[in-house]
This record gives sequence, C-alpha cells and structure tokens, in this order.
Amino acid sequence: MTTTESSDEFTPATTDEARDFLAENAAGAGRAIFPVGGRTALHYGYASTQPGIAFSTLRLNRTIDYPARDMTITVEAGIRMDELTEILKAEGQRLPIDVPQSSRATLGGVLATNTSGPRRFGFGTLRDYLIGISSIDATGKTFSAGGRVVKNVAGYDLCKLMIGSLGTLAVITQATLKVIPQPEASRILWCAAADWQAVETALENLLTSATRPVALEVLNANAAHEIAAEARLDLPADGPVLCIGFEGATRETEWETETMTAELQTAGIRDVAVVADAEPLWFALTDFATSSDEPLTFQANLRPSRLVEFAELATSAGVSLAAHAGNGIVIGHLPDTVTTLDAAVKILSPLQTLAHEADGNLVIFDCDETWKQTIPVFGQSRQDRALMQRIKQQLDPRDILNPGRVFTKNAVSAAQ
Amino acid sequence: MPETATISTIPAEALEALRRIVGESSVLSAHEQVLVYECDGFVIEKNTPDCVVFPETTEHVVAIVKLCNEYKIPFVPRGAGTSLAGGCLPVGGGVMIALTRMRGIHDVNLRDHYAVVGPGTVNVHLTQHLKGTGFHYAPDPSSQGACTIGGNVATNSGGPHTLKYGVTVNHVLGAEVVLPDGEVVQFGGYTEDNPGFDLTGLFVGSEGTFGVCTKVIVRLTRDPVAYRTMLGVFETVEDATQAISGIIGAGIVPAALELMDQGIIEAVEPAFHFGFPLDAGAVLLIEVDGLEVAVDGEAEQIVALCEQNNAREVRKADSPQQRDLLWKCRKKAFGAIGRLSPSYCTQDGVVPRTKLPEILKFITEASARHDIRIVNVFHAGDGNIHPILLFDERDAEQIKRVLLASDEILNRCIELGGSVTGEHGIGVEKINFMNKLFTEADLETMESVRLAFNPTGLCSPQKMLPTAGACGMEHIEKSHPARRAAL
Repeated sequence: MTTTESSDEFTPATTDEARDFLAENAAGAGRAIFPVGGRTALHYGYASTQPGIAFSTLRLNRTIDYPARDMTITVEAGIRMDELTEILKAEGQRLPIDVPQSSRATLGGVLATNTSGPRRFGFGTLRDYLIGISSIDATGKTFSAGGRVVKNVAGYDLCKLMIGSLGTLAVITQATLKVIPQPEASRILWCAAADWQAVETALENLLTSATRPVALEVLNANAAHEIAAEARLDLPADGPVLCIGFEGATRETEWETETMTAELQTAGIRDVAVVADAEPLWFALTDFATSSDEPLTFQANLRPSRLVEFAELATSAGVSLAAHAGNGIVIGHLPDTVTTLDAAVKILSPLQTLAHEADGNLVIFDCDETWKQTIPVFGQSRQDRALMQRIKQQLDPRDILNPGRVFTKNAVSAAQ
Repeated sequence: MPETATISTIPAEALEALRRIVGESSVLSAHEQVLVYECDGFVIEKNTPDCVVFPETTEHVVAIVKLCNEYKIPFVPRGAGTSLAGGCLPVGGGVMIALTRMRGIHDVNLRDHYAVVGPGTVNVHLTQHLKGTGFHYAPDPSSQGACTIGGNVATNSGGPHTLKYGVTVNHVLGAEVVLPDGEVVQFGGYTEDNPGFDLTGLFVGSEGTFGVCTKVIVRLTRDPVAYRTMLGVFETVEDATQAISGIIGAGIVPAALELMDQGIIEAVEPAFHFGFPLDAGAVLLIEVDGLEVAVDGEAEQIVALCEQNNAREVRKADSPQQRDLLWKCRKKAFGAIGRLSPSYCTQDGVVPRTKLPEILKFITEASARHDIRIVNVFHAGDGNIHPILLFDERDAEQIKRVLLASDEILNRCIELGGSVTGEHGIGVEKINFMNKLFTEADLETMESVRLAFNPTGLCSPQKMLPTAGACGMEHIEKSHPARRAAL
C-alpha cells in the first residue's frame, strides 16, 4: 500500500513530538498519515486513497509503569511484543494474546488490528486486557480513556473503540494492560481424525468434556503438515487434525491430557500425541495466520457449529486452513495454484456465502492489491456502518488517518 | 396537587400517541404512579419523569423514540432501577422507557455458546433458565435477583466473580439497539470478530446515552466442575488486605475474593446467622473454582497464605448448603444494612489492589472526621471498594456530611491512581469527578463520540459527561437538585 511506497516517514521520539506533528499537519498541509508499528499488517484493509506520510511509533517504546503486584503494566505503543513478553516474564506474568511475528509486531499495531490466536478460546482477546489507552487524534488532540485499575467504568470505553480500528481513528501512543500469571505447565494434544464428521463429533463432545482446554484448533491436512514442519515435530496428519491446548498447574494439565485422550477415543479418534514441549507448536499455530507467500489469506468468522461445514468446503477447494474452533474463527490460505483474480473469486464466493449464512463474514487479510478492487475486503456490509462513519467523521473530520483503508471509495466493494 | 392529577408537561397529544403505541395501560402519567420512578438506588437525587411507558417490542421502542424526536421530548431508558449512581434519573423529566416487560429469553444455543435475551430479563432468571445445561451467564451483580441484563449492559456491571470472569462487556457478543433517532441497528452478533469498529464494546457501559437496547446476545460460559469456598477470619482489615496481596502475588486468581469488615458483619450475622465472629476485624470470602484436580491445591495454598497473614482461622464451606449460605450473606449484605441505618449511600471507588490498606485507613479517618458511620463490603480482588455510608435522609445536615465524606474518599481513590467507579457508573452522581479523572480533551473526545450516536442529546440528557450541552458547573447544578439543597 501507499505507506510502503512513500519515502516520507516521521518517527517521533516522544509523545509530545508526535502530538505536535499531527497538530501541525492537521492545521496545515492536512496530508494523509499512515500510523505504522512493526509493519506486519500493512496489507490488511484497502490501499490508501491518497499519498501521505508514514507515522512510525517505533521510538515510542518505553515502559511507563509496571506495578507487577497490581498485575497491570503501562507501556508505550511502539514496544515490540517479544520485548513486552520478556518484561512480563521476569515477573512470572504474561499477556495471553498470541501474536504472529511477535519479534516485529508492536503493541500498538496489535491493538489496531485486534490480533489474536489459538489461546483466545481460554483467555479471550485484547478487549479483555486493555484497561487504559492514550491516543492522538487526527486534529493533534491527545486523549485518554480508561485508567490503570482493573475495574473501572468511568466514561465511555474508548479502549474498545480503538481496538481493531486499523489506525483510522487515532494514533495509539500508550496502553495499560491487565496481565495474568504465567502458567506452571503448557501442553498440546494433537490428533488426526479419520474425516470431518469425526471432527464434528469430537467438537460436540468437547462441549461436555471434563477438561477445560485453553485452545481448540482444527487444521486441515495441508495446514497440519505446514504447522508440524514449522514446529519441527513429527506428528500424524493424514486427515483433519484437532489440536487441543491446556495450561495450568502441572498435575492439572497432566490430568487434562489424560482425560482428553480417553474422551477422544470415545469420539472415535485414536491417534493422539501429547506434545509436552508445547512452545514451538504454539508459535507455529500462531504464525500460520501470516504465512507470507500465499496468494490470498482470509479470516472468516462464523457460528462455531458451522465451522466443520466451512472447513470441508474450503478443504475441497484446496485451501490450507486452521481454525480457532471454539470461537468460530477460520484462517485460510488460498493454494499457490491460484494466480488470477477469477480463480480466487471462484474459491472465495461459496465460502463468503457460507460465512454470511452462518451469521458471520469473510475478511481478506492479504492479497494482491489489484484484487481488492473486486473482492470485498471487509466482507458483507454491516448495518452499523453509517454509525461507524459518523464516529470516524467526529475523530478525523478531514479524513487524514489511513484514508480509505476501511471506508474505501473503491467502486466495487460489498463493504460499502 | 390532587393524587390523580397528571403532572406531565409533555403535550397531551404526545401522551395520547404514546398510549396508542403501547396501549392505555402501558403508560403511567399520574403523579402517584410516576413517583416510584423518581430515582434509582441512588436516593439522594430525585426527579419524576413526565410519564413512564412500557414497550413490549422493538417496534414499540422505535415508535416511542420517533415520537420523542418529533416533539423534542427527552427520554431515558430504565431497567429495574437498581443502578446506584442515578444513571436512569430523568433529569429534566420527559419520557421514561421502562424495559421490564421486554424480558423474553428468546434463544439459548449451547453449541454456539450464546443466548439472546430481552433487555428486561432479570439477571438471575437467565441463570435459573440455564440450570442443568452445564452453562451459565457469568456476570452476577449482587443485585442479580432484581437487576436486568439491559441495565447490566448500560452500566457494564461487575459482580463478585469479576476477578476471574470479567465484567459484563466480556460476556456480550452483540446488541440490538434503537438509536436516539429511532433507527434500529445491530452491533456485533452471534459470531466474534465482526469487521469494523467494536461498537458492542463501546455501547456496553454507555449508561443509556447511546440509545435504547432492545436485545442482547450474551456469551455463555461452562460451569466450573468444582468449587472450594473459604472464609478467612482476621483480627484486622490490614491483615485481610495483606492476605489478598499474598494470594494474588502467588499467581492464584480466585473466582472471588470479597471482604466484609466488622461493621457489615454486625448487620449480616443477625440477619442470616451464618456464624460470623462478631469480634473479627474482617472476613474474607474466597472462592476458587476449576477442575477437581486443581482446586484442592489452590485452596491449600490460600489457607497457608491467610495463616501467614495472621488469620485467626480459615473455615471451608463443607457442603453446597454452606456455600450457598455464605454467598447469600455476601450478596444480601446490602439488604441487611437496614438493621443499622434508615438510609445508606454505597460508594464505588477503585484503587490499585496494593493500595487497599491505604484507602481503607483513609475511610476510617473520613468516617471519624465527618461523624458518619461507614461499613465495608467489597470486591477486594479487583481493588473495587464499596464503603457504605450510613445516614438518615430526613436530616439534611447528615446528607451534607455523607456527600463530603464520599467526595473525600473518591478524591483519595483518584490520588492513589484509581477511579471513582468500578461498576456503578457515573450517572448524575459522579459527573463532577469526570473533570478530575479526565482532561478537557479526553472529555471532548468522549463528547464527540456521543454526538455520533446522539446528536440531539434527547437520549438520557445530562448524564456522564460534564460537557454535555453546557459548561461543566451548569450541568452539575442542573442534575443535582438535592445536592444543591443539601449544600
């Protein structure tokens, strides 16, 4: 998109510098501003409708306050996720959000894109952890919302508004997060199912399982091979794979993996492998969302009960697919053989239709920019779109923050 | 004024039109009828609405809201009126939209983990409805026997289980909302991660100022397999709060961690006869839940940590009946306060958990300084305090001292890095704290977001933001008739 093409870039060292720059720009040239962090998600959304300046948060990366005993942390938005993880780890704590490319991704970017991964089933998403935020809007006005305490309902929850807003409302400069203790143990149970029906039976049985998984992943064989190879593990993957994660006290996770193994057997799944050193597999499952050389990557959201149906259809079209099955979120990569827009649309159309029928949507994460003229990046238009635009208008009256990225002016878009 | 007289200042034709929309019996406008709706649980501020309407469908709400727009009449949604900050106080009168008849549980889908309910559904009714399914709706405010889910959405309610399970917003997938201009929209939905801005997250906790909620899609949570419920008895509040720090510091996240001080024990014990020691400085109600294989280990650790912090004893609830009684004592503690005082004002400050000893000491001092008895029962694990100030509302002098003591306590919460509300909301009660918590720019941004939803300001006017339609003080004066009188 335009940000990567532009040589113009501003990297403030302080939030005051950031504010002054935005205020001067808003009062003067009014050029488009593209907030960027680790640049891991620039492909997400429509291309900008006008040239402008990349606004990098990378130097805004300080830890402002970490009262570990209160289990909250306040950091600047440009901090890399790996660095944040290390800081928290030193105190036996963590932010339980799985972030692809975590060595590059910044907290601000992760918030702006509402990133999540497999463990969202057990721990929720960023909206469950962000308790305070500071941002600068497109007029150069710094505003904060929330605070530094874990429970707080004073004022409108602009934290929620900023999560997933793709840098179109304001530049996030600082965030306060609630954190949780590191678990004593983390294990993943991997098993190959004979067919999709067996996966559905297993998922239904999981609703009454005595265990409490923190991740419930469904992979098709293509994705399973890719992920196992990435994690350097020799795991069975003849058909669809169920990948179930447990975290907690050691004896708890041991009991859970044993119990789950027995429960899966009653559901007709026998080929079960317990991965005790789960870390490389968690990484591989998380990074699957950003495999870089695929022609198109999408995320569908649908009712969990429709997931297997969707996975079956996608698999038959050659899509490599991993799903957070408990949440109804599917990540898919179109096969390398897809080189034309027509071929992509042919695969996507029935999947989009199914996602809509399942009360959800299909969003494009990444594809050839020219394809976005035809494929609706944000899926089916939502009823509250006009209201979203009114909010955008309030915070960015001149439309200078990531113009067109969400509310595109492209003629052909179901998001319009 | 004669008892049957209509005090409405809204045009008679508008009143007639409202009756046509919802039916004659679903509009109240006589003085003695609307008097019941003059306040919520925050009894210091009162104002009657011109009329109260009881819609039964979304279409009714749309028609009511459109009519209010036509006549430029302010309107305010109301649930069961259990809110504690004047959030549904009809400032300036107008139409009160009481949603208690929209209480249907429309759909329960266990496979997809959600239920669709009307806003007037009483919180505990959903819990009862789900009993035996293996799922529950996690937010459980202490008022759950009366409060409605729509009201919970408006205030983003918490409850004793917030520490582990989160507040209302963490359990709302979507909402159908009649916007202040009468348009019906759906935020979120039956699925997660819908593209666009998270208007569900923004709507929850907006205290009725963004529109009228007519349907809520709530997330359902698996029931825990096992519980261990304990009661730690401490000589002093300080020891109890140190134990809390110890438990959290050890990496244990209990499902609940509630503190009751001696004052509240004095009210609760005669009411429920649990066997609370009347001479203890504080008791901690601690619950861990999870797998059978895990809870005993956590419970043992907690007992040891309590003992390290000078607990006199730690009792375990050894039967479901005992657990139920313990929880009943906690959840009905407020009801028992009637034994101590004719009126009370519950505050809702929050401090970082480690500052609990400091704020509790300050409360004791404020109590002495203003000669107002204050008792405490609160969600200690979240740092959310609920000092309960006891007084007689017939005595203006006492009201004045209650307000001063409350202000001091809340100001101290801000100084300690906290907030003035953890779960009750700003309403009209705390509007003058907003300038202390937030900068002018913060409030302007919030105001501009409100304008996107509610450009005419007819929906729940004069709430939450001191900048709404006037400069700060004018607004505070307008919405605080009783406070003005008392001061």
